Amino acid sequence: MSKRRNLKREIKEKLNDDVLRNALGRFAEEYPAAREKALENVEDVDALRESLKAMKLNAVGRIEELADRFEEEATKRGVKVFRAKTGDDLKKYILDLCRERDVKSIVKSKSMASEEVDLNPALEEAGIEVKETDLGEWIISLAGHKPSHMVLPAIHLNRYQVSEYFSRELDKSIEPDIAFMVQTARVTLREKFLSADMGITGANFGIAENGGIGLVTNEGNARLVTTLPRIHVVIIGYEKLIPTLRDATPILRLLPRSATAQLMTSYMSVISGPVPVMVKRNGRWEEDEKEVHYILLDNGRLAAAHDDTFKEIYQCIRCGSCLNVCPVYALVGGHVYGGHTYAGGIGTILTAFMSGMEEFEDFNELCIGCRRCTTVCPGMIDIPGLIEELRKRSVKEHGLPFVMDKIFDVMTNRRLFHGLLRAASIAQKPFTSEGLVRHLPLFLAGMTKDRSLPSIANVPLRDRIDAVIKKIENPVKRVGFFSGCTMDFVFPETGESVIKVIQDLNMEVVYPDGQGCCGKPVSATGDVEHAKKIAMNNIKAFEGLDLDFIICACPTGVEQIRDYPRLFKDDPEWKVRAQSMADKLEEFCFFVAREYEKTGRLEKAPKKADAIKVTYHDSCHLKRVLDICEEPRKLIESVGGYELVEMKDADKCCGMSGAFGVQHSNLSIPILKQKMDNIRDTGAEIVACACSGCMVQLQGGIDQQAPGKRMKHIADILAENIRD
Amino acid sequence: MKRTCDNWQDKLPAGKSGSHLYEEFELRAKNVSTEVFRVKRADEAGKIILDIVKETGAKSVALVSCSLIEASGIVAKLKNNGVTVYTEQGDIAENVGTADIGISGVEFGIAECGSVCQDALAIESRLVSSLPPLHIAFMESRNIVPGIEDAIDIISGFFTEGYVSWITGPSRTADIERVLTIGVHGPGRFVIIAVDEGADGGAA
Repeated sequence: MSKRRNLKREIKEKLNDDVLRNALGRFAEEYPAAREKALENVEDVDALRESLKAMKLNAVGRIEELADRFEEEATKRGVKVFRAKTGDDLKKYILDLCRERDVKSIVKSKSMASEEVDLNPALEEAGIEVKETDLGEWIISLAGHKPSHMVLPAIHLNRYQVSEYFSRELDKSIEPDIAFMVQTARVTLREKFLSADMGITGANFGIAENGGIGLVTNEGNARLVTTLPRIHVVIIGYEKLIPTLRDATPILRLLPRSATAQLMTSYMSVISGPVPVMVKRNGRWEEDEKEVHYILLDNGRLAAAHDDTFKEIYQCIRCGSCLNVCPVYALVGGHVYGGHTYAGGIGTILTAFMSGMEEFEDFNELCIGCRRCTTVCPGMIDIPGLIEELRKRSVKEHGLPFVMDKIFDVMTNRRLFHGLLRAASIAQKPFTSEGLVRHLPLFLAGMTKDRSLPSIANVPLRDRIDAVIKKIENPVKRVGFFSGCTMDFVFPETGESVIKVIQDLNMEVVYPDGQGCCGKPVSATGDVEHAKKIAMNNIKAFEGLDLDFIICACPTGVEQIRDYPRLFKDDPEWKVRAQSMADKLEEFCFFVAREYEKTGRLEKAPKKADAIKVTYHDSCHLKRVLDICEEPRKLIESVGGYELVEMKDADKCCGMSGAFGVQHSNLSIPILKQKMDNIRDTGAEIVACACSGCMVQLQGGIDQQAPGKRMKHIADILAENIRD
Repeated sequence: MKRTCDNWQDKLPAGKSGSHLYEEFELRAKNVSTEVFRVKRADEAGKIILDIVKETGAKSVALVSCSLIEASGIVAKLKNNGVTVYTEQGDIAENVGTADIGISGVEFGIAECGSVCQDALAIESRLVSSLPPLHIAFMESRNIVPGIEDAIDIISGFFTEGYVSWITGPSRTADIERVLTIGVHGPGRFVIIAVDEGADGGAA
């Protein structure tokens, strides 16, 4: 698999683009509260999202039927409908139409589908003047750029850049005053509206029952595009089809709120049939029927509709909210995502279907799987899950890069892997200080600026077990402990804390020596085969031990082990064995909180005057995959002597995300910096979390950026207050 | 004049819609920079419109009539004040591009989002509400429905073909530096005159 693009270089360019960084930074800061405000008069937001999802699921399940009905109803009313399989089909249809109808000039309101198939260059090549009339689209067309955001296509440009493009286009100096430039656009494009022969729009929905379309816009350009020219061409993707007009309700309630934090856009129109148009004949205005064409675009969409997993992308209403909350998008903007039409997480998936797997492979690693997008997506799409699924398909098709394949071979062989980790603990000696690698060799310097990477512990947890595990008289339960490799080899003291807390519940702890890596780093790349081998190893290690529970204090480990049965979906024997391991598994905080609750230990401890301030960082996977966020906080507050202070954006990713944090340290570090700023602002002395991946990142950040603060796993906080 | 629906009034759900939703509607509309006036009788709209004419120095108005507008007697008042008023389809098409104000009726308001629903099938209705820099819409204050869902339900009840638009405040953009700027392609000012007494003279 050869990399055609130099993604790292492109990322570096974007990180050095101050205009972009500023615009996106401010937007990311302001969007969540604005969205929240726009949803203030929606009684049950999740129920509304569910209704959108259900409506879209129903629609995609009957997509052919809807398309037939939509075509039939529109045709009945006098609309010409063309189904375009590819972008080339679409372009040919429009070019032929222009030739037949003597179209010299076209005005367009926003159509992402037309961007997707590069319509404008094809029209211009044929000598047709085509003007984008959405202000942002017009700006980027003057700049020769692709949209960097679905809703705010020119968000990467500032007023000075825009004034340069305007000045060049209009051949006169245009002051960089926003209101003046907007007025200039109005005047310039008004002429184009009035003289255009054809209008092209997209559609926010297409209604099967009456062959109508819906348009949701703010500038008023779509009303002009659909009103003034004598011909109207609608470009609509299959995913926009809905059964009835009533089905538009959840779209209309969620799209403006999610996209621009508006309760409704300035204009929303439902149009069906050839509506009246005015034409001037022999100096007299006459009413005529508009000529209307619908182009129903496939370009990979039907393949997705018939794919049981990926039909989920039909739940996308193109609001862009997933970009607005994405920590990586906020740093690099849209152009790094293939430089094509659709950016961010959803864009990564759409690109795979519309432009092919190879393009997907070029940049899919930009999704760090923090799942923040899943909390806002109005269609409730599991964007990171679908990206991981695509990675699996990509590995199946094209295999892994050679080096990664070899590394995973090593990780699959537990003894070899652990042997290497032990060797590493010796090899890194010259570079470590206080447990953190401070001075790596020069070629790794980029990785360590603003963050130390942790060193491998001298003595891993597995070698400390005998000293920690106590014989419990009449234990109430027998508990297996799955530590995961980070806790085993980097934070063995935290592993000891976990054991201590569980033993304190009068439970017996078993630490099977055969356990190894959970397999998440392997799975995340889409490599199913290596992940299965690793899973088998762990399943075997925990079998036949007569355990009541298996505890894991790392959310990605929990997530991965719960996913084992799915890995073996085609292997009945191993599926059962995987299920039996998964069924016993409990996340540490959840487990302990439940046990404490039973005995009244979870009560908030009385406040002390000299309490130490603790702030808690929500791990992405603990909060958004396992839905655990109350328990860790309650556990902190149950211990006397601590005061919990919340940080801003406690549940925003710390930037580690497994291998991403090392591979793309130039992205990981700025995300970590925001986190460290938020931590510092709380004035807390201790940063608590409950994930070993986050611990690596936070410890590294504290070491470089916030000396004096201490990082603790919830297990450490609890264990410190247990008398031996 | 072409209409998507001949009798919108009949389609509004009696138990649900009403002027009790006016405050919520007004709040939401004003939040998006709509200028909202409430009058008891249609003829009281005259003063509001003449004030706007004076304030803006408007010379010409493109107007699509409805029963409320007829009851307001605004056409005569405008003409008496020296304003040119275009009311015929051909005149509107010819002059709307340079008209200072567009005036039309709208069918109902939506409290949830401060929008108004316009039967936009007649091209002159679209022209007067899209091209001039200022659009004034007449609405009966009793014709307000609670939410987007109710509004869609009403339209779904009869819609088979045509053109229906919701208008929510003035035309706006945030495409340059996300700075909210009004009046890009559509009207930069949007005024609603909500009339309590229906055109038939009955109290709302």
